[in-house]
Amino acid sequence: MKLLELSHVKKSFDGLEVLKDISLNVEEGEVVAIIGPSGSGKSTLLRCATLLEKMDEGTLKICGKSATLNKEGKTRYAGKSQLAELKSSYGLVFQNFNLFPHYSVMKNVTDAPIHVQKRDKAEVKKEAEELLKKVGLEAKGDSYPSQLSGGQQQRVAIARALAMNPRILFFDEPTSALDPEITAGILKLLRQLANENMTMVIVTHEINFARNVADRVVFMDGGVVVEEGKPEDVIDNPSSERTRAFLQKMEV
Amino acid sequence: MKIDKKWSRHILKRLILCILVMSLVGGIFTACGKKETKKESLADKKKFIVGFDAEFPPYGYKDENGEYVGFDLSLAQEVCDRNGWELVKQPIEWNSKDMELNSGSIDCIWNGFTMNGRENDYTWSSAYVDNSQVVVVRKDSGINELSDLAGKIVIVQADSSALAALTGDDAEEQNLELAKSFKSLQQVSDYNSAFMNLEAGVADAICMDIGVSRYEIKARGDKYQILDEHISTEQYGIGFKKGNKELRDKVEATLNDMLADGTFDSIATEWGLEESVSLGKEGSDTVMKNEDTDVEKKDMAAKVTDIIGQLSSGMAATLAIFVLTLVFSMPLGLLVTFIRMSKSRIVRWIAKIYISIMRGTPLMLQLLVVFFGPYYLFGISMSYSYRFYAVIIGFSLNYAAYFAEIYRAGIEGIPNGQREAAYVLGYTKSQTFTKIIFPQMVKRVMPPVTNEVITLVKDTSLAFALAYTEMFTLAKQVAASNASILPLVVAGVFYYIFNFIVAWVMELIEKKMQYYS
Repeated sequence: MKLLELSHVKKSFDGLEVLKDISLNVEEGEVVAIIGPSGSGKSTLLRCATLLEKMDEGTLKICGKSATLNKEGKTRYAGKSQLAELKSSYGLVFQNFNLFPHYSVMKNVTDAPIHVQKRDKAEVKKEAEELLKKVGLEAKGDSYPSQLSGGQQQRVAIARALAMNPRILFFDEPTSALDPEITAGILKLLRQLANENMTMVIVTHEINFARNVADRVVFMDGGVVVEEGKPEDVIDNPSSERTRAFLQKMEV
Repeated sequence: MKIDKKWSRHILKRLILCILVMSLVGGIFTACGKKETKKESLADKKKFIVGFDAEFPPYGYKDENGEYVGFDLSLAQEVCDRNGWELVKQPIEWNSKDMELNSGSIDCIWNGFTMNGRENDYTWSSAYVDNSQVVVVRKDSGINELSDLAGKIVIVQADSSALAALTGDDAEEQNLELAKSFKSLQQVSDYNSAFMNLEAGVADAICMDIGVSRYEIKARGDKYQILDEHISTEQYGIGFKKGNKELRDKVEATLNDMLADGTFDSIATEWGLEESVSLGKEGSDTVMKNEDTDVEKKDMAAKVTDIIGQLSSGMAATLAIFVLTLVFSMPLGLLVTFIRMSKSRIVRWIAKIYISIMRGTPLMLQLLVVFFGPYYLFGISMSYSYRFYAVIIGFSLNYAAYFAEIYRAGIEGIPNGQREAAYVLGYTKSQTFTKIIFPQMVKRVMPPVTNEVITLVKDTSLAFALAYTEMFTLAKQVAASNASILPLVVAGVFYYIFNFIVAWVMELIEKKMQYYS
């Protein structure tokens, strides 16, 4: 089943076209890495997929449910309640974590499942403890985000996203704000999620990670998908000159 | 509550600071009181500084050309011309007249200054005007004699002879009875606001000097009348600093010369006071001749206790204004913030204009608009208790504007990622505000809010604009009636301690929110 269906997406900021008719589908269980130079539109694409930006044109379906109304021309979005339902089927991990600084680690993870999804408190708490254990922070439940290192904060952010039981997870450059030695730990965690068959879309600069973990690599430049396919094709044997130039700069 | 060592040390430090400031203030005032100002020889005198209330026509006031003129000032000018002095016309705040005189910043009070009841407080000239205290009412009020004033709201100028005649220590028995029959006796700082109160229907009568009332009624049209029954008769003299007989004698001699050659009478006629002047008449120099130099002594502690007793109702009023203003303005400020941050441009502009007006005009003026607005804009006469409501409404509207801008800065300072994270997690808009944005905003705005709250403590004194007797107004009244600055020092200490407590509480709250950064 397709968990993400983006088709013919167009998006401009102040007359500058950032996304030029892009389509992207993600199958259940698939790990897709989106790579490309800064300003290529990859983050904007991810923000469109997670409803943080409104597309000018195009359609969006998440887990088979439409976020957009099928009308000609300009994209119209579905009503509030329909979008609210959609939001509980995906999660997003930010580059800057965006944890809630006034909530403890435990509350950061449990608050939305309890108050947004209206799930049982005790059950959510038990699940959250397991999630914190999974990300290696079982002892930090009572700490506040400012008392944690960047890597620890990103682990909490991942636990917070997982606590909503999403069917698909989006990552927006999850390691860009972290030191290289901490990056490895986060990537290991993502690989573990991939092994558990989590469907993931990851915008990243970590080419090696993309090669090792992704089922499919999408190379974007100038608001279009230049090339996509298996990592060994796109990364090791690119067909496009632009992809080659980019990879050379990244010293792969 | 547990107060750890660091805190108790902190409090101790503050207390020491508090005591230091107070002793410094006290020291300055004691020093001023003791210091014998060097006597300036009369022969060297170049300037003659007359202190007067600039809103007391026809004795001293500002005319259409912005010049200070009046009967008393004309007399003073003539006295100066004859002595080769330069006349300096110094308008003063009436409640501060004793401080002005004692500090030497004015040479005399020459301003329809009533001698009765103040015989021993100044060195007086002869009485040059005989004046009576009368009652002014609206013609359509149905009040025709003094007994009709029972149950009415009556206005007097603060520390005026009318007030002394009604409630002072030397007031006649029948006048004390009369004052008791009023619903209330309000004090205002000038006759202009007295007449505004009367016109707006928030007061029923004004007790004032006959000379002034004739002038005011002539100027304001025939809406008003003076009752035939008078409250009292009184005399005006020139008041010099107690003991300054040398200057008094010089001025007195010059006045007598002016009387002898007819100049005095012609100046009186010029100002329409020919009926009232009394210089040279029998008995006009009684006070001057009986001058008594004894000054009553009371020990300091008893004085301060007395003053605190007299000021206690003002302290309660100040506290009430403070608490109620915060209770209303803080939530109202949040509402204004919402409007200010609305998606609609027009709605946003409404809040913008509101904030701009509230911050761009004096709070005192806003208070006057709130109080007199209902009458002057809509012709509605408000009830007596509206005075207090007007103070609270005025303060709340003003402070809400400041709080709104502080809140907005606090909200806009929160990184957008917080809103995005909440959005993706599915929080509704109101959940996002109450759970994520508001708690973080509160912490961010604590320092500027503390500033506003401390300013409010001091701003409460502006309630005097509506003749609402809070702490500072009362202190000025007590200071004037005791001819002492001690009540003002007590008031200063009260404000300081009040703010000391406020700052301490706000710091505790800030501390409590330090659990995250």
